[in-house]
Amino acid sequence: MRLQLKAGAAPTAGEAARSDAPRASERSAALIAAALALPGILPSHALAQTAPDEGVVAMRYLDYRDWQPGARRMTVRNPSLYALVPFGSSLAVEGSLIYDAMSGASPLYHDTLSGASGLGITDYRTAGDMKVTKYIDGNALAFGVAGSYERDYKSRAASFEWRRASADRNTTLAVGVAATRDSIDSANGVARNKHRETYDLLLGITQVLSSDALVESSVTWSDGRGYYSDPYKLLDTRPDQRRIFAWLTRYNRYLPHPDATLRVAYRYLDDSFGGRSHTVEASWVQTLPRGFTLMPMLRYYTQGAADFYHDPPFPEGSVQGEPYTADTRLSAFGAITAGLRLAKSFPGGVTADVALSFYRQRAGWRAGGEGSPGLLEFSARWIEFGLEKRF
Amino acid sequence: MAIAVGARERHGHAGRIGRVCVRMLAALGVASVAGCATFDPPKPWEKGDLARPSMRLDADPLAARAMAHVYQSKEGAAGGGTVGGGGCGCN
Amino acid sequence: MPATVLEEVHRYAFVAMASRHELHVWAPDRAHADRAARAAIADVLRIEGKFTRYRDASVTSTINRNAGGGAVAIDAETVALLRYADRCHALSEGRFDLTSGVLRRAWDFKRRPPRVPADTEIAALLELIDWPRVEWDEHSIRLPRVGMELDFGGIGKEYAADRATAILREHGIAHALVNLAGDVRVVGAHPDGTPWRVGIQHPRETGGVVATVELADGAVATSGDYERYFEVGGKRYSHLLDARTGRPVAHWQSVSVVAELATLAGSYATLAMLFAADAPSFLAREGAHYLAIAADGTMAANMPFLQGTPWPHPTG
Repeated sequence: MRLQLKAGAAPTAGEAARSDAPRASERSAALIAAALALPGILPSHALAQTAPDEGVVAMRYLDYRDWQPGARRMTVRNPSLYALVPFGSSLAVEGSLIYDAMSGASPLYHDTLSGASGLGITDYRTAGDMKVTKYIDGNALAFGVAGSYERDYKSRAASFEWRRASADRNTTLAVGVAATRDSIDSANGVARNKHRETYDLLLGITQVLSSDALVESSVTWSDGRGYYSDPYKLLDTRPDQRRIFAWLTRYNRYLPHPDATLRVAYRYLDDSFGGRSHTVEASWVQTLPRGFTLMPMLRYYTQGAADFYHDPPFPEGSVQGEPYTADTRLSAFGAITAGLRLAKSFPGGVTADVALSFYRQRAGWRAGGEGSPGLLEFSARWIEFGLEKRF
Repeated sequence: MAIAVGARERHGHAGRIGRVCVRMLAALGVASVAGCATFDPPKPWEKGDLARPSMRLDADPLAARAMAHVYQSKEGAAGGGTVGGGGCGCN
Repeated sequence: MPATVLEEVHRYAFVAMASRHELHVWAPDRAHADRAARAAIADVLRIEGKFTRYRDASVTSTINRNAGGGAVAIDAETVALLRYADRCHALSEGRFDLTSGVLRRAWDFKRRPPRVPADTEIAALLELIDWPRVEWDEHSIRLPRVGMELDFGGIGKEYAADRATAILREHGIAHALVNLAGDVRVVGAHPDGTPWRVGIQHPRETGGVVATVELADGAVATSGDYERYFEVGGKRYSHLLDARTGRPVAHWQSVSVVAELATLAGSYATLAMLFAADAPSFLAREGAHYLAIAADGTMAANMPFLQGTPWPHPTG
């Protein structure tokens, strides 16, 4: 059974009434398409286990800036590209490329390099991924590779995922595995030829609750061994194993009267480093006249400190041979993101959007209090410009 | 000693903001789930609204990647939702 | 101490002289940085256009076209560069010669498969390498023999780096870094006082760094055998040719020099490569600060600005 969701000629009401048997799906699907009248509709891969009808090419530009009292401001510009190409009805290939001038919490270690060839002048990061999905009879098998390249950190990953939809396509089960290998060679020579291997397992279920709502819940186990310390931070020593358990639940609900969608997500994460975190995110996608969409978003994040995180003054608490970090990313704090996005769709399957987000991290915002003392407030804002074309 | 005590007091007061935030968002979630009342899986011809771009779970792959990277480099938690995305050197 | 003036570093990357370059400019706002950077980049492009061999209208092409013929009028900037090249020729005892560009005709680094030229080819070209016989003064220059050529490739880039810095200063920029294909010149340190951290590229590992130099002013330039080369019979032939012999030098993998000006640092680095085994005594005579990596990977250095421990440990 295949949902044809291209905008096409509107079938008659009579046709729709006759289609109460699964065999009549094609005609009913055409009705659905006409009723929606939104360009470039793709079925969610989680719901319709067939290749998408349309390809997508998208690009995005992120302008990021952060600041912290007493510390240097950092500005980053980050262009990225994405493409999804279906081949027939049973194969789809997608990939993305990101060129990223932001790396880590601190500014780039070297300002620049002096060399005869002029190569490797800057510490930029390039990352890319590619996924091939094969659709067979209600199952989707996806094989993916991903890589990230920075002068001092290289990462390669391979993953495999199997999704299976129930007969009525209202329930989808997913199983995924991935293996990642990271190589670390720090610019200051502290970490030479270090490695890290991680294996992940994901189990998930997506359930359509009603004609307007669906929920997805997945758990991920991650087991990594190798080098985890931050070589740019003095005395930073972390355990050589990290086990992570994450549980993510997402709920989407369409509300016909305001013609808007509510999206809520919650993630619980438990880490063998000792940190535990909760993330709650909610967004409201409001359809407006003339093809505009407005989307406000709010995210709250809270984390506990790692077992081996020590409050200032540095280096109090450091014991030879024992794990230790003063890296504030592993401290206890809460963070809030507030964002607003405006999108407009144009004829020909083109959508343009612009988004503005503000982010702030404070020890005092940790849920339940007890945020780490001595943390400076951290703030960031980012602006995004996106362009997408469906074909 | 005095400084440490002061800090704890401040956090105790401001910790309420965190708790309020969690409660607000939880309430929002509960309200929306309560709104859908029953578990009523739709027939194929009733799935029109589910196919809306805003209802997609994989909407905005580029925005999702960019956001994931921003949070991964500023927060301790990393992961959940997908597997095999490749890492970054931000610990 | 809270910053009363909001400053942030603006980075600009551009391509010129077949290489990648960048500017890092600290300015109160982006418009200010843009104006300064644009002016600096424009001048780099101007210098490229003026001294490149690839444009018929360039100063270099005009001079070369008239070899064996009449004198060509030149401006003050060209004269200053000639004077500087003359000094380099003397200092290097003839190893550096502005007229050695003709060796390009024998040593083709783009050729596939690469080919080591015959002695006769080199000998013929050596006849055309003779800086002391070039007739030049404050106003004009004449290459006495047909076939002679000037090539500013060895000094143009470093000069452009210093010019770019001067222009940034003229625009009121007090903290900046200019990197033209690996030749780095800085203006001041970062506004908070921390020095610029410049990594010295590893001569054999792409993206690797052998040492870090911290600069609060001045320049660091690197000359290496890995910029342009070919390998034949297991031996590396680099583009750094000794003008007296017409053959590549092979003693150092790279030499980096820290000096007040990029022009100075660049010349010392290039000359040190050309001096081969005699480089340390040459650099000591000149009182230059350097880091040299020999063909076998060992290092010789006189560099107090190093941060961290270079590996292996410096000798000499």
